[in-house]
Amino acid sequence: MAAVHAELTDGELIERIAAGRRAAFDELYRRYARAVLGLALRRLGDRGRAEDAAQEAFAAIWRSAGSYRRERGTGAAWLYAIARNAIVDGLRRTPEPVAEALEVPSGDAGPPEKAEAAWLAWRVHRALEQLPEHERPVIELAYYGGLSQSEVAEFLHVPLGTVKTRTRSALQRLAGALEGELG
Amino acid sequence: MSGPDFDELVGGDELAPEERERLRKVHDLLLAAGPPPELPAKLWQPPPEKPVSAFPLFPRRRQAALVALVAALALVAFGGGYLAGDRTTGLETNRVVQMFGTEGAVSARASLELFEVDASGNWPMLMTIRDLAPLPAGATYELWLTTGGKPAKLCGVFTVHGGATEVWMNMPWKLKRFDGWIVTRTGSTEPLLAS
Repeated sequence: MAAVHAELTDGELIERIAAGRRAAFDELYRRYARAVLGLALRRLGDRGRAEDAAQEAFAAIWRSAGSYRRERGTGAAWLYAIARNAIVDGLRRTPEPVAEALEVPSGDAGPPEKAEAAWLAWRVHRALEQLPEHERPVIELAYYGGLSQSEVAEFLHVPLGTVKTRTRSALQRLAGALEGELG
Repeated sequence: MSGPDFDELVGGDELAPEERERLRKVHDLLLAAGPPPELPAKLWQPPPEKPVSAFPLFPRRRQAALVALVAALALVAFGGGYLAGDRTTGLETNRVVQMFGTEGAVSARASLELFEVDASGNWPMLMTIRDLAPLPAGATYELWLTTGGKPAKLCGVFTVHGGATEVWMNMPWKLKRFDGWIVTRTGSTEPLLAS
């Protein structure tokens, strides 16, 4: 089922969701679940509320898919706006004290900088989801797991050379996916 | 956020300076973005059903009138909508066939999603075609089931507009009798896309 949608762009998936296509929604969820949760965590701080907000964000995506117009921008940008608005709406409904985002300590950045950081994280997390299954763990373990290349090799039970090859390949793929951010 | 040593990651000097700089920027972006969160068990699967808005779109006092209006519209829509056909909802995917461009259309590709056979014995199908060249006015492409790689049963005729095109089709043939799918230009048997 996912195979047919894996090659579709985000925008094409959204258009299919607007037509009621469940499989398209599942594929979009696979691509964006962690990015949406990351955005909610960044905004809300509290994990429980962020998880609820992420679910509400995907509900909003279902409801709003018909408003997407590909000529107005990318699917990623549309999704970001819908998810962010859903998260903010959730915040307004349950105005509990808001923790500052872990990555953006209080006072270090104003709203524009926070927005830019959130958008950047959104793009990077989405790009990570695009990596092949055998490359993504190599990057995540090295960057976010604190493992050396040798430790990654040991952890994944693959030769060190394979880890190095996969790492470079993954970075090159990410460079392609993040072309607009590399300026 | 501290991260891995970039030079250790990308290795020695075999990278061109420009490529090295490009990967260095990716390295910096990964660190700036921080880790994506792991999904908790309750988010492993997408919501099971299309969710209903948690918030009323209309004030409560208008809801009764709205319900009546929706009911009336539903009655009207049932007739017209039935005739027009709900082409998407309620269809279960049976299988997906990937098709790839041949020498005649190297960059083209397509996916053919077959839904469960309907009550009349037909296969509803959604074909998504990408990067197949648009044809002059009046010219068309055809989707065929093949036996021995040769066109055997015509399943649909379509045109494309460039980029990605979605075409809904319907065909009654029993798939067991065939060994593949091809797309040809009408009047030709040369496959431009093949499964």
